[in-house]
Amino acid sequence: METRSRLVVKNLNVYYGKNQALKNINLHIPENSITVIIGPSGCGKTTLLKSLNRLLDEQDGVRVEGQVLVDGQDIYRPEVDVTLIRKRMGLLSQKPQVLPLSIYDNVAFGPRLLGIKARPVLDGLVEKYLRLAGLWDEVRQRLQEPASRLSIGQQQRLCLARGLAVEPEVILGDEPTSALDPQSSRNVEVQLLSLKQNYTIVLVTHILRQARRLADYVAFLYFGELVEFGPASEVLTSPRDPRTRAYITGEIS
Amino acid sequence: MAEAAMLVLASLVLIMAIILWKSLPALKLSMIIRIPGSGYYLGREGGILNAILGSLQLVLGATLLALIIALPGVIFLHSYLRKKSLLAESIRFTLDVLWGIPSIVYGAFGFLLMITFHLRASLLAGILTVALVELPILSRALDETMKLVPSELKEATYSLGASRWQTATRVVLRQTFPGLVTAVLMAVGRGLGDAAAVLFTAGYTDKITTSLLQPVATLPLAIFFQLNSPFPAVQQRAYASAAILTLLILIISLVSRSLSRRLSRHKIL
Repeated sequence: METRSRLVVKNLNVYYGKNQALKNINLHIPENSITVIIGPSGCGKTTLLKSLNRLLDEQDGVRVEGQVLVDGQDIYRPEVDVTLIRKRMGLLSQKPQVLPLSIYDNVAFGPRLLGIKARPVLDGLVEKYLRLAGLWDEVRQRLQEPASRLSIGQQQRLCLARGLAVEPEVILGDEPTSALDPQSSRNVEVQLLSLKQNYTIVLVTHILRQARRLADYVAFLYFGELVEFGPASEVLTSPRDPRTRAYITGEIS
Repeated sequence: MAEAAMLVLASLVLIMAIILWKSLPALKLSMIIRIPGSGYYLGREGGILNAILGSLQLVLGATLLALIIALPGVIFLHSYLRKKSLLAESIRFTLDVLWGIPSIVYGAFGFLLMITFHLRASLLAGILTVALVELPILSRALDETMKLVPSELKEATYSLGASRWQTATRVVLRQTFPGLVTAVLMAVGRGLGDAAAVLFTAGYTDKITTSLLQPVATLPLAIFFQLNSPFPAVQQRAYASAAILTLLILIISLVSRSLSRRLSRHKIL
């Protein structure tokens, strides 16, 4: 199947000191769909995700080789402004990480970085993205309260709204439901499914059932290697590689 | 363990009680609203308003100066350097050594500077010297509070496209604000109470200081000089000065605590 792809990983190698965390990864991430990266703990899923918006730069002792192309431009070239790259990708982390600000200011943070100061404009954006994240009705009366007072599930949707407010093209999720209760997880999943028409979504998960519910495409990572990549229906039901099969049937975890 | 904790508490109560007891005869309102009466250098009459105001002027200037240097320095240390880089570790080590240097050495250093620049003992020289004393305290205390900021919080901010500077000023400082207040408080406490650093540099005066180039009176030196007096009446005033100094630190500490609580309502975790 031919798909358009603005996010391409080419010959990517990542080292933590002497350990190689990712081995020669090549990946075309399809647009306007959900690509789920699965694999056992410590196989490099998060590393791969963080390499996509150069968050790896912020860690000590990491070395990256190879290319990550966004619209054909290699984001690892030295002249690239990393803050611009990151504005094109929203990140949801494992534990929702709200900023030490009010609910309103959390969502307005990104737009303010873009230089938007007019209050009516910000008001509109805050409402728009809180609605998009499915949180507006729950917080419209308490926008000035500290974001830390929200429940953990609400915090994760606030993080989603905050990420969307930067108007990214890509949403990256690092096990974004792992800290949430089932109902909150469901809420976040529903939002992600409804967002995929307009965004390219890359999710890391170790929950196979979640991959089945959400994935259009699946990438299986094992010890830093990309073992298999393809449409979810193929990879999750009739994998070609014995290691993928072993993982999916639960022989290895 | 409980006994040790009680001992700490008891020693505070004991010190306060003795100082108050000794100062009771001299503790009048005039002590804090008047400068020393004429005729007596240290004053048998009047008050120590000159030293109270002088101490505040000095510590305000010094803390402000130290903060202006420490804050960008610590932000640089945290947001622009690798955690275990040689430069970062050298800076921390240097600050620790500077912290340990007795303030009389800073006083001597300040004195040397004054001679070099032909400066008289003055508020300005005192501010510069006390700022030097406060700088390592302030920097290391800020450094420690910033270490407590979860790296995930910084990552979350970076992933929104914030630069290092924006992350430091808009998020990290917010999160560490209570720690920042505590750090400033430690520095103020040290600056208010230090006698050795101002002995040569700030001088002493019976008057209220109105210019950076005039000498300035300070509470620790007021205590020092009054205790040296052979007259019991003046010695009592030394204890009164000590009580006032202690009270001042108590008030500053209470005010900053409530301030920090009010401003930290958004803090996460």
